[in-house]
Amino acid sequence: MFTLKVSGIGKHYGETLVFKNISFQLNQGDVLAITGWNGSGKSTLLRIIAGLVKPSTGRVEMFFNADPIPKESRRRFIGMVAPALSLYDELTGLESIEFFCRVRGLACNRNDCLNIIELVGLAEHATKMGREYSSGMKQRLKLAQALLHKPPLLLLDEPATNLDSKGIDVLEQIISNQRQSGMTVIASNEKREADYADTVINLSE
Amino acid sequence: MQTRSSTYLNEAVAIWFRDLRSEFRTRYALNAILMFAVTTLIAVSFSIGSFRIEEAERPFLYSVLLWIILTFSALSGLSRSFVKEEEAGTIDVLKLSARPQAVFFGKLLFNLTLLGALELIIVPSFIFLMAYQINFPGFFVAMIISGGLGLGAGTTIIAAMIARASTRGALFSVLSLPLLLPLMITCIKGCERAAIGIHSAGWPEVKIAVAYVIIMVVMSLFLFPLIWEE
Repeated sequence: MFTLKVSGIGKHYGETLVFKNISFQLNQGDVLAITGWNGSGKSTLLRIIAGLVKPSTGRVEMFFNADPIPKESRRRFIGMVAPALSLYDELTGLESIEFFCRVRGLACNRNDCLNIIELVGLAEHATKMGREYSSGMKQRLKLAQALLHKPPLLLLDEPATNLDSKGIDVLEQIISNQRQSGMTVIASNEKREADYADTVINLSE
Repeated sequence: MQTRSSTYLNEAVAIWFRDLRSEFRTRYALNAILMFAVTTLIAVSFSIGSFRIEEAERPFLYSVLLWIILTFSALSGLSRSFVKEEEAGTIDVLKLSARPQAVFFGKLLFNLTLLGALELIIVPSFIFLMAYQINFPGFFVAMIISGGLGLGAGTTIIAAMIARASTRGALFSVLSLPLLLPLMITCIKGCERAAIGIHSAGWPEVKIAVAYVIIMVVMSLFLFPLIWEE
């Protein structure tokens, strides 16, 4: 059983305060939405949880079966999709997924990679170069990359960006499946994305 | 998905192969390095050639010229290994996927591959165009290989340090030169002695270059995670 505990997180750049004193705890099956105006720190909060940015105050803790997970091991428990997080344009979709499989030390063969690409609806485009992908296709590939290692914590920053209606269906299915195996944190201004969540934290308040 | 026993080596090799594949398709770093090296080599060979320098001075001056070409060619392209991750916005996904030490070794292997290709093309061309006589080829080859390893180790960690800076091009050269200077001096001395044919027991310059490589790699293993996670 995986648990995420965020305690008193705050972030400021110089004298500019982005947010302060954010605390919550998530358990398996939880979906949390983080909303707020542009610049309120939604993406920053997700990046802090992912360990990509250090908080100014507070701490992020993760537990597996009540045992604390050290910071250097957390990447195995996190899958992340964000607009600022790009994949490789000079690799095909399949090559990108195969690369992440190898670098994460997953025991997956080409069929496993094709299956995950099919799951996000990119089967027909698996051998196209990343630079030939449309924005929506890139977003789907990011979702495939994030799901590859079946992470218990899925961090989705504006996940519906550029997705068409079929892509939205895929996203809804992913969030629904994630309830069975882990938890999801969504950062978004879209009401529909916030509606997936059980709990909402508004950073503008 | 089952996790197999993941080692630093497996992860580093995955990053190395991915970088090679990208480089093979874009040829960005290789073109920058080779263009600089070939242009400099041609300029040097036409302006100095093999006849404008006194025979007694050739071993030293040719060694200096060779290492200037190799070092500055390396500086023109090796920073790309990290800079392109930063510019393409792929650095975060790499941080979330691989362990820092594996990233460092993967990038080091990639830079060493580029340097190997550079040396394979430039060193024989330099010897041919400048009529560079080497009386102790074994020592010379060992010096070129160990010097290349040192150049790769030094530039890889500096490339990681400057990747996020706004003036990264200038910063790469400014930081690299003092760090690479002891290696350059050693390699120039070693190649000069190999050209003259002075035999010293144990090839001291090669030993110094190998020690430099070990020091740089060990230091980088401690330093890189701090740079990577900052």
